[in-house]
Order: sequence, then structure tokens, then C-alpha cells
Amino acid sequence: MSAERPPAIDVISAEPLEQLLIDRIRQGSIELPLLPQVASQILGMVYDPNAEAAKLAALIHQDQALAAHVIKIANSPAYMTRNPVVSLQHAVSMLGMNLMSEIAFSASIKGSAFKVPGWDAEVKRLWQHSLASGAYAKEIARMRRFNVESAYLCGLLHGIGKPVVLQTLVLLAKEQGSTLSRELLHQLLEGYHTQVGLLVAADWSLPPPVVESITFHREYHYAKTAKQECMTTCLADRLAEHFLNPEALDEAAVRDHAVYADLNLYLKDIDTLLALKDQVRKAVEAMPL
Amino acid sequence: MKPASSYDIVVVGSGPAGQKAAIQGAKAGKRVALIEQEQGIGGNCVYRGTIPSKTLRESAVQFEHLKRSSEVFEGGLRLDVPLASLLHRLDEVVKAHESYMANQLTRNGVTYRHGRAKLLSPHDVQLEAVDGACQTLKAETIVLATGSRPRSIPDIPIDHEHILDSDSILSMIYLPRSLAVLGGGVIACEYAAMFALLGVEVTIIDKAERPLSFLDKEVVEVFQHSLQRQGGRFYARHTVKEVAWDGVSSVVARLGNGMVVKSEKMLVALGRQPNVEELNLEAAGLSLDEKGWLPVNEYGQTAVPHIYAAGDLLGPPSLASRAMEQGRRAVSHALGLPVGEAVNQIPIGIYTIPEIASIGLDEEQAATRYRGPIVGRARFTEIAKGQITGACDGLLKLIADPSGERLLGVQIVGEDATELIHLGQMALQNGATIDRFIDTIFSFPTFAEAYRVAALDILGQRRKRQGTVQAA
Repeated sequence: MSAERPPAIDVISAEPLEQLLIDRIRQGSIELPLLPQVASQILGMVYDPNAEAAKLAALIHQDQALAAHVIKIANSPAYMTRNPVVSLQHAVSMLGMNLMSEIAFSASIKGSAFKVPGWDAEVKRLWQHSLASGAYAKEIARMRRFNVESAYLCGLLHGIGKPVVLQTLVLLAKEQGSTLSRELLHQLLEGYHTQVGLLVAADWSLPPPVVESITFHREYHYAKTAKQECMTTCLADRLAEHFLNPEALDEAAVRDHAVYADLNLYLKDIDTLLALKDQVRKAVEAMPL
Repeated sequence: MKPASSYDIVVVGSGPAGQKAAIQGAKAGKRVALIEQEQGIGGNCVYRGTIPSKTLRESAVQFEHLKRSSEVFEGGLRLDVPLASLLHRLDEVVKAHESYMANQLTRNGVTYRHGRAKLLSPHDVQLEAVDGACQTLKAETIVLATGSRPRSIPDIPIDHEHILDSDSILSMIYLPRSLAVLGGGVIACEYAAMFALLGVEVTIIDKAERPLSFLDKEVVEVFQHSLQRQGGRFYARHTVKEVAWDGVSSVVARLGNGMVVKSEKMLVALGRQPNVEELNLEAAGLSLDEKGWLPVNEYGQTAVPHIYAAGDLLGPPSLASRAMEQGRRAVSHALGLPVGEAVNQIPIGIYTIPEIASIGLDEEQAATRYRGPIVGRARFTEIAKGQITGACDGLLKLIADPSGERLLGVQIVGEDATELIHLGQMALQNGATIDRFIDTIFSFPTFAEAYRVAALDILGQRRKRQGTVQAA
């Protein structure tokens, strides 16, 4: 993953930018960006009578922003005819193709907001991490016979705050006529993504397990009701990090964590999960940013 | 690797069979180690089988009662209850069960070991902890009770997401609109009945002519009628050619005759297979029989005399009650304790809605062995308790010999059938006559009263038959 150099403008100090971010969070004026490329693919597909429905579902399934959008719409009073929607399959099954076109349309409009010149590599890394986490979460859930749909959603969306923080920071820096350093960005992403992720989760009425996974995927012992999902997300997050950046988190390091024992995964099970790289790569490559 | 620890008995698996084997050994003063690969005690019975499915069943039945009550009181009731809320009691039930079992093991001095077991030789069992640390346990006697899991079918891509098996069906967190069930056996019918009662459109697909084909035909007809009334369908004599998730919203099953069945989820319940892969049976000189189960004698002894097996590992029927007794018998035999007579009459309890229970001979079996057995029937519509509770889908059949005196079997379908059957079981085991039921005063109103009604039916037929003989 090659790191792109951000535009070299005056680097502003951490404090004012952080304060601006805090203000923006307090004002609730942060919006989740959608991904225009995916949105346009979906838009093209839903108006093509020959398009494969399976491909459409796969696209929605792999797009964190759109996935969350689908969940939000499905849970809105206009469509919540039965139980609250708790997974993507459930939502897709309920909403059908016509509504997908509406969602895709709105996605294409909102999508333009996600262009972050100079930060493509960061966005791509976050995106790939979400996809890989979702893919690993599914496999862990299959192995342990937990709910696969819920695990995927938790894996995919656990870091939903990060792209939102990134987008907001870049926007804020631009408004200030400055830019931010990569170090500062990472520091603020780490510091605020959970808080922002929770705002997004609340705004979109994401299911409780996703909310808990956003909050507790690292400290899963504190999870209240969705401990299994949080443990699964914790492991999926680590496996995804190792998959995307093996130099930073090598195999010995990724194997060294209490979550395996807590999930009752034996060495053979860990080997099986680590051997899924090709499968995860396919899932990630199927949805380029 | 840590040095070997020695035990008199090592039991592998903490399900019903393993627990009873371990406790029996400990009660006899032996040093017993019980190995369990999962985090909690109890095996599939507690975490994926009997306890969770019966908890859901109970919720479904309560829900049905509420629906009935809301009609009586002209009240409204939301019918779209999330599956997760129907299982809200499960954690409590499992914790209570776990705690009871853990206390029982501790009280009896059984050493509990969490890890995966692998036979290294006829007397050595390797224990691999979840962190990979290994230790060898030496044992005079080994009891294998590793249970079974849903049979995987090569052509059916069970993904535990859209196409589920009986282990993963309860991981669903919402009720699907439709559910196709492959198989017509006990597990298939139990889940089909539960989901149908909860308003899910259920379709059972099976190659047999009727579901639960090993049971009394008339009894199964009552169940089928009830299932249909709840909106369930049974596609008999159908083979499944292909099953696939369409990538959007349906599981598509193509049947042998070209028919296509689409459903939101599918449950594959086509039998079970033993958990033996991790055991390394060959190292102890053991192998499976041609059907894939572990062969044993009447005491649970395998081909290696000091290695015993109990429970689902031995093949169907997968009954916790049977497994417990097998575990107890195996250890009693190993220790030279009185084993008692092998129980050949185990009640079969099936938790469909309504429940089905059976003991002894059914009508068809009795007809094969005896010329003209007499069958007494009591329909729950004739029983006051049935009318009061609204549970009128029920039938109790007493099967008697041609003289109408000796009881040969009891077949029941209806509310509380799995409890009611024990009265028949005691009667059978004690050689009670049909007249005994007539001479007994049952509380009124109860479902047990059906025994007397069925016995009176036999009495009437007996008199008629005697009259015919005398007239001739």
C-alpha cells in the first residue's frame, strides 16, 4: 500500500484543529460520505434490466457506507413494516430492487462529498480494512456458529467513524487554509473515531451489536449484550490489520492475543483463519475504491 | 509438553453421557478427569441442541397461548416478534444448567479439563489446551462421549448464513418470512413446527412419504394436520437436486421433478454424524462401523475392552435420556459394579407442536407380531382438559394384545405428550393390564384421563369381540 504525500501547505497545530473537530461533533454537522464509484455502479445496474441481482446484492453487501444507509432506510418509519432490520440480507430482502435504486441515487449525490484530494491512500486503506474485517468476521462467526450476518455488519462498520473523521478534518483544514500532517491525522482518527462512529450509529439507528462493536471491539470485556460480536470484531480487526499490513503486525504478533481463548479457538482454528488470505483478498479486490 | 497425569477414568466430552459417566466413576471413589473442548459444561445438548431448541419451543408455545388469549379478550398482539426476544430466557436457562452441572461435578470431585482430546495410545489421551499447550493423561479406563453434529452434505453449501444446519439455526436473530426444511426427521419436524407457529411460512421437503416415518402413522397424521393448519407444507417423495443462495434474498432449491422452492432461509436437517475426527481413534486400535458410528457391546465396551463409548457417538436415536444411561452403564461395567438390566424400552419424546411421544409397539408393529391387536383411542377433543385449554389436536392410542388385556404400547400426540408417556411407560414396565387403567380414578380434568378413555374403548371392542366369538 503506497503512501501518498499530502499537499505541502502550512501544517496547523493539533489544538485548534482538534477543537474545531470537537465543535463540529458537538454541532452534529458531520455527515457520512458515500462512495461515488460504488454508487454509480449500483445506479448503472439497477437501471439495466439484464443486471444480475446477485451482483447488486454483493456490491451493497461490501460497501460500508451504503450498507449503513440501507439499514437506516429500512429502519425508517416508512419501511419498518415488520421487525427492526438487523442485517444487510434482511434489509435487501425487505427493500427489494426498486428501493435499491433510490438508495443508489441518493448515494450518487452524497458520494461527491467523499472526494478528499491528496488523501486517497488513507481512504483506500480504511476502506480495505473495513472490507477485510467484514470478511474475517464472517468466517469467525461461521466457525463459531454465531450469526454471520450480524458479524459481517459489525466487522464492516466498526471503524465507520474513521472515514468520517478524516473527511471532516480535511474539510476543516481546508477551511482554515492549511492542511494537517499524517501523524496528526492518525492521532485524531484514533482519538475520535469511536465518538464519531457512535454519532453515526445513533443517527442511522444502527443495530445494538454494531453500536457495541464500535465502542468495545478492543475492550470487549466491557461489552454489555453483544460480547460475541465484539470479540469477533476484535479478532477480525486484528486479522485484517495483519492481512493489509503484515510488516506492522506480523503473524507472531497477530497470534498473540487473549481473544482466541475467549472465543475458544484452538491453534488449528487459528491456522484455518490465517489461511483465508486469498478469500479475503478476493473480497477486498472485488470492491475497489 | 507437561508430564503425564494419571487417572482411573478419563471421560472425553461433557454432554449428558460424559457427565453421568464421570459422576458414576467419582461416586465409586475413582479419580476421574472430564475433558471438554468447549468453554462450558454440557455439550451440544446445552448450547446447540435440546436446551436452546426447547427454550425456543416454550417461547413459541407461550406466544401461541398469548395469541389465543388476545382473541378471547379481544385484545391486540403484535405478531412480528424478533427471534432474539423469543430466546431472551436462553442465557438464564443455560447459566442455571451450567451452574447446576458444574456444582455436581465439583461436589463429586471430578477434575474438569478444558481442551481438545486426542488418543495417543490405548491408555494415553493428549489434552490440547486452547492456547496450544499439551499434556498427556493416562487412564485405566477411557469413556468416549464426544457426541455428534449435523451431517454435512457435499452438494448442499451450508454457509450458516442463508443455508443453516440445526447447530446454526438458532443463531438467527430475526424470524425469516419463509423457511424451507430439508429432511423429515425429528429435528426437521421440531423446528418446522416451531417456526410455523411463529408465523414463518414453512415447507418441509423429504424423500419419504410422510414425516417421522418411523412413528405410528395415525399419530403423525395428527401432527401433519396441525402443521398444515399453522400454514406449514410437506412435500413428500421429493429429492433435492440442487440448493443455492441466489445472492439477493432467496435460497433456491431445485427438486428432482423440476419444481423450484424458494425461501428466505433453509434448514438442512438430514441426520447426524459422530464427532470423531479429532479423537485419532486408530491410535487406540479403534475404527467406525460401516454406517460411520462407533461399535460397542451392550455395556458400551468398544473393541478395546477398557475403552467405552456412550451417547450420540453410537448412532441414533440421539436422546439425552439414553445417553445418560449409557454413560452410567459404561462406567459401572468398567468398575465391576452392578449394571442392571439393559433398558429396552426408552420413551421417545419429540418436541413438535403438538408433542409426540411413543413407547412400546405401535399399531403397525403390533399387527405384524399379533393377529388382530386391539387399539383404544382417546381424542383430545373428547377430553375436558383439551376443550378447556383449546389444545384439541391430540390423540392417545393404547395398543393391546388380541385379547384386549395386555398393554403392548402407547402412542401419543398432543399437549404434554412427552410427560404423559411416562404413565404408559410405568404400566408397560410393570405389566399392568388394560383393566388397571379402567379401575384407576384419574384427576378431572387432566390429559391423563385420556388413558382411561382409551382403555374403555378397548374394553368396548373386547366385549364386542367376545360377543362375536360367543355368537359364533
